Amino acid sequence: MTEFLDSIGYGQWILHALVLLPLLGVVPVLLGPESSAKWTALTVTTLELVLSAGLWWALDPSRGTLQLVSTTPWIPTWGISYRVGLDGISLVMVLLTTLMLPISVLGSWRSITKQERGFYAMMLTLLTGLVGVFLALDLFVFYIFFEVMLIPMYFIIGVWGGTNRLYAAIKFFIYTMAGSLLMLVAIVALVWRIQVVTGLTSFSYDHVLQHAGAAGPLAPWLFAAFALAFAIKVPIFPFHTWLPDAHVEAPTAGSVLLAAVMLKIGTYGFLRFAVPFFPQVALSPAVSRIVVVLAVIGIIYGALVAMVQPDIKKLVAYSSVSHLGFVMLGIWAGTLQSVQGSLMVMISHGFSTGALFLLIGMIYERRHTRLIADYGGIARVVPLFSLIFTVVALSSIGLPGLNGFVGEFLVLLGSFAAFPLATVLATTGVIFAAAYLLWALQRMIYNRLDNPENERLTDLNGRELAIMAPLLAGIVWLGLYPAPVLRRMEPAAQRYIQLTRPSHEAAPVAVTGSAARVRP
Amino acid sequence: MNRIDLGSPLGVAMALLPEILLSTWALIVLLVVSWRHETAQDSRLAGWLSLAGLLVSGAGLAALWVTGATPEGLPQMVALDPFRYGASALALLAAAGTVLISLGYLEREGLLAPEYYPLVLLATAGMMFLAGAEDLIVLFLGLEVMSVAVYVLAGYNRADPFSSEAALKYFLIGAFASGFLLYGIALVYGTTGTTNLSIIGAQLSGRPIPLMAALGLGLLLIGMGFKISAVPFHMWAPDVYDGSPTPISGLMATGVKAAAFAALVRVLLEAFPSAIGLWQPIVAGLAIASMAAGNLVALAQQSLKRMLAYSSIAHAGYMLVAVWTGTHAGAGAVLLYLLAYGLTTLASFGLLTALGRGGEREVTYDDIAGLASPRPAIAFGLSVCMLSLLGFPFTVGFIGKWYIISATVAEGQMILPVILVVTSVLSAGYYLPVIMAMYMRPAPGPDHHAAVGLSPTAAAAIALSVAAVLLFGLWPGGLLDLAGTSARTLTQTGLPLAGP
Repeated sequence: MTEFLDSIGYGQWILHALVLLPLLGVVPVLLGPESSAKWTALTVTTLELVLSAGLWWALDPSRGTLQLVSTTPWIPTWGISYRVGLDGISLVMVLLTTLMLPISVLGSWRSITKQERGFYAMMLTLLTGLVGVFLALDLFVFYIFFEVMLIPMYFIIGVWGGTNRLYAAIKFFIYTMAGSLLMLVAIVALVWRIQVVTGLTSFSYDHVLQHAGAAGPLAPWLFAAFALAFAIKVPIFPFHTWLPDAHVEAPTAGSVLLAAVMLKIGTYGFLRFAVPFFPQVALSPAVSRIVVVLAVIGIIYGALVAMVQPDIKKLVAYSSVSHLGFVMLGIWAGTLQSVQGSLMVMISHGFSTGALFLLIGMIYERRHTRLIADYGGIARVVPLFSLIFTVVALSSIGLPGLNGFVGEFLVLLGSFAAFPLATVLATTGVIFAAAYLLWALQRMIYNRLDNPENERLTDLNGRELAIMAPLLAGIVWLGLYPAPVLRRMEPAAQRYIQLTRPSHEAAPVAVTGSAARVRP
Repeated sequence: MNRIDLGSPLGVAMALLPEILLSTWALIVLLVVSWRHETAQDSRLAGWLSLAGLLVSGAGLAALWVTGATPEGLPQMVALDPFRYGASALALLAAAGTVLISLGYLEREGLLAPEYYPLVLLATAGMMFLAGAEDLIVLFLGLEVMSVAVYVLAGYNRADPFSSEAALKYFLIGAFASGFLLYGIALVYGTTGTTNLSIIGAQLSGRPIPLMAALGLGLLLIGMGFKISAVPFHMWAPDVYDGSPTPISGLMATGVKAAAFAALVRVLLEAFPSAIGLWQPIVAGLAIASMAAGNLVALAQQSLKRMLAYSSIAHAGYMLVAVWTGTHAGAGAVLLYLLAYGLTTLASFGLLTALGRGGEREVTYDDIAGLASPRPAIAFGLSVCMLSLLGFPFTVGFIGKWYIISATVAEGQMILPVILVVTSVLSAGYYLPVIMAMYMRPAPGPDHHAAVGLSPTAAAAIALSVAAVLLFGLWPGGLLDLAGTSARTLTQTGLPLAGP
């Protein structure tokens, strides 16, 4: 496979193609007839998925550095160039994104009935933004992608969303923008400090990373600005209030992409930028304590609030707050296991929560209600749906053998040494997850079939099964044999740990010790 | 390099080529319309003639700019540097956009007195004098020429009491501001014995600033503050913008503001670099007040025209942040932001003319609900404008804000940029609802938007502006270099000065 990719010069053009292709796809979507918009979008997103699949082999898994880096000058006066590249972490995030897009397009097949051209154009623009954000290696370019994807999501929520969509859309937009604008000032300030020290104005990621120490006394402020932007995106506990609104009001595809990909941009930002730039601040005892406490609050609070939701979509939305808390905990614990675990949670949360939102969308199309109380005993009417829903819910709970288990287990294992109390408390989150999801399952799917309206439900059709098949395959594969994914992320995770460790002696012990255990 | 001797009459004529061409042309148009001022056709003729005049003046300006005209020795009366050329070009662009938008607008509103166009030309000539003044007297003359023409234009719709109110209010406040400015000039002259900016700068350098000059500087700042509508000298702006014919509101927000900002930057950087410790806190205070008040009050507006008026106060605040730096980078940021803001605002006011009738005072957020499906092009253009005003990436508004933030951060100042971005977030609260109304809400009635439309000329001008907003947002490199190099010449033409 590698030879074939080399023979077509894959590494040279692929990253640019991945960013540009969806944007070019917008043109035929907008110009074509309304009825063919979804077909065009499906073609483009599938093509993107096929193209991106080659990255799996193109990336050299033995190196943790950024690869396939390509630079094009953009605004030379300000030291800005269009610079893209990837490592193991970006690889899995890009693949997750490109996989979720065709699935979301298929998931919108029937539910989006008005202004289809606009909708699919927005989906493709969003794809460009999402892929770009994970590939960008220039702070200016990263910022632009980070901001620009707000627009398509704003429209997706605001035009095609539920009844309260206008409020949810503007709340989503303003929350995210508030954080990112402060990050903008921080980016400019950091580059300015580096320019003062090195004499070179450059927004290039490597340059900034190498000289981030130049921030000097400004470092805590700059870290705070970066952290706020990403904390809102994740979202970490007190900044999460936009999330339930946005997730619930968004159409199915919007919820899927928000949960599966966009939340990960926050944690990715911590891994790629905020912590490696300012490790002394980020991992100082005071900041660590704050982050870990907030992460644990998020885990438990998200789970408890999820438990009392009457609306199944809102329940899943709050469960995201809980799951992302694990990611934050793992990032801050800073062992290979915990970081790998965090990455696994990011991926498997994408699969499980994406699948849950899709399933909720499917049942909503049939019954037009999301209230748990309106269902009950539907396993008898829609057995396939119920089976798949159960499997996905179990994977979200973290049942061993399914994907959710691997990540959360690694996080807990890797974090125990650093934060014993927090880890113990976080473990209760797993139990709560079992509680809220199993209880919801029981009320929706099992129990007695006592509502006559549910008797006329139809089971999943071929298209819907085709949507769920890759997700289920991923759920089982990641649960049983996560090693190939872990192996590709490991060098990047190790590099992250090295970058953030103040002393390099302590690192190798933990790395070798855990690496042996991670590999099956 | 084209050296011009400002001591000889020929040299002065060369140096003032664009202004002379424009003023003469205005008089010719005035002459033409004194015979032909009856029909819509006459009005159109005057409009096209004026546009040609703007082009001719622009050609004169280009001749100076391209040949790199610099003064022989000390610049007297009028500056010869790319900063002036850039600011003058902005004024000409704003005027051209205004004329193009007005062509259809005046006919539609029945404002068929073609003296309108010569007045626009004269106002523009005033702006160019103001932007290029190297002497406080020229500055004052330019300001008055500009203002008097704009007073008349503000009240052009005589049938509309709000238009008359706008004119009267603008006139009274403007006269008041001129008084401050003149008093300030007198005090500065009293201290230094000169009105030439470079010589004032040389006189004041190297010693603590005398009290009288400090008072003069303060009065100058107040006078300028009125013209750029900085808080707390902004009270007139919403009512005047609101009552004036919409293309004139656009001209005030772009051309008048551009000229006044250019003059402000030049006065502060050339005449008062040594007093930077004195004016920086004042400018910072004005900036913070303008950003906060402009954005907060704009949030409460229902009418789009008033919203744009308050937002223009907020944008004056952003630009004052760049002025605060007192550096060349800051001056470049002001120039670039003026262009960004000018393009976007002209297009916004132009689009506003498409939405309503009778001065557009009544166009509210509710009125544009559901505009996107019957009028996709107008909705798209207005959305791009709103995003650019918000400072969103891939629009020139973002580049402008980025430049201001860089220039300010480079002075080690973090508080002003943070206030700038925080208040920008507030502005999302009134720019986004415009997009929201057009795309996400249903139209109030089936034929609600039947009357919405633009004349071909206005559509062309707006389309060009919107395209420029997007293009410069994507490839800002050339523009940045231009703004940067233009600003760098600002104090080099004068005496070797002490200062930042």
